[in-house]
Amino acid sequence: MNRQDKSLVLVWVALLLLLAASAGSALLRLGAWNSVLNLAVAAVKAALVLLFFMRLRASHKLLRLAALSAFATLAVLFGLASSDYATRTVYPAPLQTPRQLAPHALPLQ
Amino acid sequence: MEAPVAAHFASRAQQALAATFGMWVFLATEALLFGPLFFGYLYVRTHFPEAAGAASRHTDLVLGTLNTATLISASLCMALAAQPQRRARSAAWLLWASAALGLAFLAIKGLEYRHEFAAQLFPDRGFAPADAGAPAHAHGMQLFFVLYFAMTALHALHLAVGVAACLVVARALRRGRARAEQVELAGLYWHFVDVLWIFLYPLLYLVERA
Amino acid sequence: MTSAPETAERAQAPSYLAEDFTLWSWLGTHDHKRIAVLYMLSITLFFFIGGLAAALIRLELATPQGDLVTAETYNKLFTAHGVIMVWLFLIPSIPAVLGNFLMPMMIGARDLAFPRLNLASWYVYLAGGALTLGALLAGGVDTGWTFYTPFSSMFSNSNVVLALLGILVLGFSSILTGLNFIVTVHTMRAPGMTWFRLPLFVWANYATAIILVLATPVLAMTLVLVGIERVFQVGIFDPALGGDPLLFQHLFWFYSHPAVYIMVLPAMGVVSEIIPCFARRPVFGYRFMAYAILGIAVIGFLVWGHHMFVSGQSVYAGMVFSLLSFLVAIPSAVKVFNWTATLYKGSITFSAPMLYALGFVGLFTIGGLTGLFLAALALDVHLSDTYFVVAHFHYIMVGGSVMAYLGAIHFWWPKMTGRMYPESWGRAAAAIIFFGFNLTFFPQFLLGYQGMPRRYHSYPSEFQVLHLLSSAGAVVLALGYLLPLAYFGWSLLYGRRGGDNPWRATGLEWQTASPPPTDNFAQAPVVTQEPYAYRQ
Repeated sequence: MNRQDKSLVLVWVALLLLLAASAGSALLRLGAWNSVLNLAVAAVKAALVLLFFMRLRASHKLLRLAALSAFATLAVLFGLASSDYATRTVYPAPLQTPRQLAPHALPLQ
Repeated sequence: MEAPVAAHFASRAQQALAATFGMWVFLATEALLFGPLFFGYLYVRTHFPEAAGAASRHTDLVLGTLNTATLISASLCMALAAQPQRRARSAAWLLWASAALGLAFLAIKGLEYRHEFAAQLFPDRGFAPADAGAPAHAHGMQLFFVLYFAMTALHALHLAVGVAACLVVARALRRGRARAEQVELAGLYWHFVDVLWIFLYPLLYLVERA
Repeated sequence: MTSAPETAERAQAPSYLAEDFTLWSWLGTHDHKRIAVLYMLSITLFFFIGGLAAALIRLELATPQGDLVTAETYNKLFTAHGVIMVWLFLIPSIPAVLGNFLMPMMIGARDLAFPRLNLASWYVYLAGGALTLGALLAGGVDTGWTFYTPFSSMFSNSNVVLALLGILVLGFSSILTGLNFIVTVHTMRAPGMTWFRLPLFVWANYATAIILVLATPVLAMTLVLVGIERVFQVGIFDPALGGDPLLFQHLFWFYSHPAVYIMVLPAMGVVSEIIPCFARRPVFGYRFMAYAILGIAVIGFLVWGHHMFVSGQSVYAGMVFSLLSFLVAIPSAVKVFNWTATLYKGSITFSAPMLYALGFVGLFTIGGLTGLFLAALALDVHLSDTYFVVAHFHYIMVGGSVMAYLGAIHFWWPKMTGRMYPESWGRAAAAIIFFGFNLTFFPQFLLGYQGMPRRYHSYPSEFQVLHLLSSAGAVVLALGYLLPLAYFGWSLLYGRRGGDNPWRATGLEWQTASPPPTDNFAQAPVVTQEPYAYRQ
């Protein structure tokens, strides 16, 4: 086993340890921090896969551009659409339609 | 003996870059394909936080964690296979190992689905979890499961394609007809499927577990 | 002008048309030029089917009563018109026909990066087209091309799922085309062809490809979600079950707004090729034109909420989207100014392609300015869902994109076929189309701000005069579109042979034979000149 193989195996071990950490920490009652921690760990694991298994850092900058563009576009979708949900005032409807009262009563073809 | 350079390319290097770049562009499209599902998930989590937790507790933490480890290990095999100095024979074995691990993942997923169907957690008209509670809570749980099934099913479909790709490239390697970058391309696709699962796992399995 | 004998001397290899005459050599081709022709034939068929739906719509709207068709049939007609024109015609039109044909030549390559993927994209397109058309014609779909929930997901009793499937498949076709273009432009440019020596047509199709690749998958998944909602009745878009109809609209318009840039950017690229040629001047402000193309593509991803101002979206988000929508007009305006400046002190020939290109500039300007009206929140409250919106987007899609498409076909017809179309007929058709178009759609602006709603088949009688004018215009427009069909067909058999470069245009595609050999160039070109090297 040469040096590159060894570093790949090390990355694998790191990924498994991180997996254990997130599974374990999920069993602790940390409130909102549970989600933060889980997603942070997921981000680190993803970065390890992208950088070492997919060799993103070592490759042509075009490939990094492709990855970055996808991420940026998703960020736009999430960010701007969330700006609607974050600032929308929801008014409960005083009337309920028949559909709302019995949603599964009318079958569709 | 490797496959020859295609006629419309000026050089092997150009062909290799085009192929790898093409795969990355394709992976970008796949990321955007899953995007709306992740956004739908965000909608459910923010609008129904308790229901999402209740629903997530119905998923099988042990099987989900085992599956994550399986996929990470398969990724290791793919990464080892794609190393430049790897001989064709060893690369083929590594690809078969990945494919086997991928099939193991699908089998475990199938087991989870069976349990969930039995517990009436499939979000159609017959959705009836034990802890449904108030209508709003039940609706939230149902929406969580819509995303759960949609995301894991789409992921499983992509994984199945990845398994097939492994087998195809492994066969080409054994026959000496594989291009050097084909192992890398199959690997890139596979790692992407892994990255997807790396995010799906905490989002679906680890919500309010404590 | 190159003469016919010169061409005959130089052409060693047979042209891509004469390479092989069997059916399989066409249906199994890897040649980007043949694939382009296959696309051209397909989209022309779909254009006339969509046009037929429009004809029926305009016929119904000639009278105030809903007397030609029932309301439900009318809904199916405008849905068919929209779905066919957007996904089966406009989105593939310039990229899949002219982009496919010209891009490799314009960058000095032998083909696209993935020729077999290119052929696959055509077959996927046909499959999607068959499914979609099947859904639209056998029973129909009545949701509008926008498939708004909860009507599409819960209440419509039409072939929604089949249509969704068809459009999903069409989406994959366009993703494959976009992927091919991006990889090709990045990796296969000839030596010396730097980014800033590329023709603007290449820049435009490149930016379009980026949008295709990033936006279309979102549409695909959104349509799947509507399908899931319909089949399983789960409530993603149903407020009674905790869902949100606006979730659909956000996801749908996230794709569909960039989609309109997919439809207009290639048209802008075409205009940037035609105007310098027939003004005999290099394009004014080349770099700004390139940056404007990229700017439109990027900002175009940020404005989708302007389709949702009156939907229930947060008014604060509406303000953000409104501001961003005003911003996207800036690079478009830069392009209009630069095309105009290109004409200054030029030697202008009013050939048919030039008439279409100039028509584009004027009509796109009107369409774009009216877009600004709609981007203003307060105005949009009144104009939303009226004929003002219909007129706005038809000015850009038809007055802009369709005219540019026709201009492109006229301009590159000698390159694709080796034949000239009859010029006086070409000019006449352009003029008829311009006149017919304005007669059809200008009255619709007036109808809109007077309150005529869109998607209604009956209306108060005081709107009839304007509707009649519009329907009369549609008759003229239809005749205008039929003319090129006739004379292009005629030219294939009897048209004068134009030689390699009848327009004396710059650009690598004109430096090879017309029609080109299968491998495009006798030997790989090396680029040393700036683009649009026109001298007075």
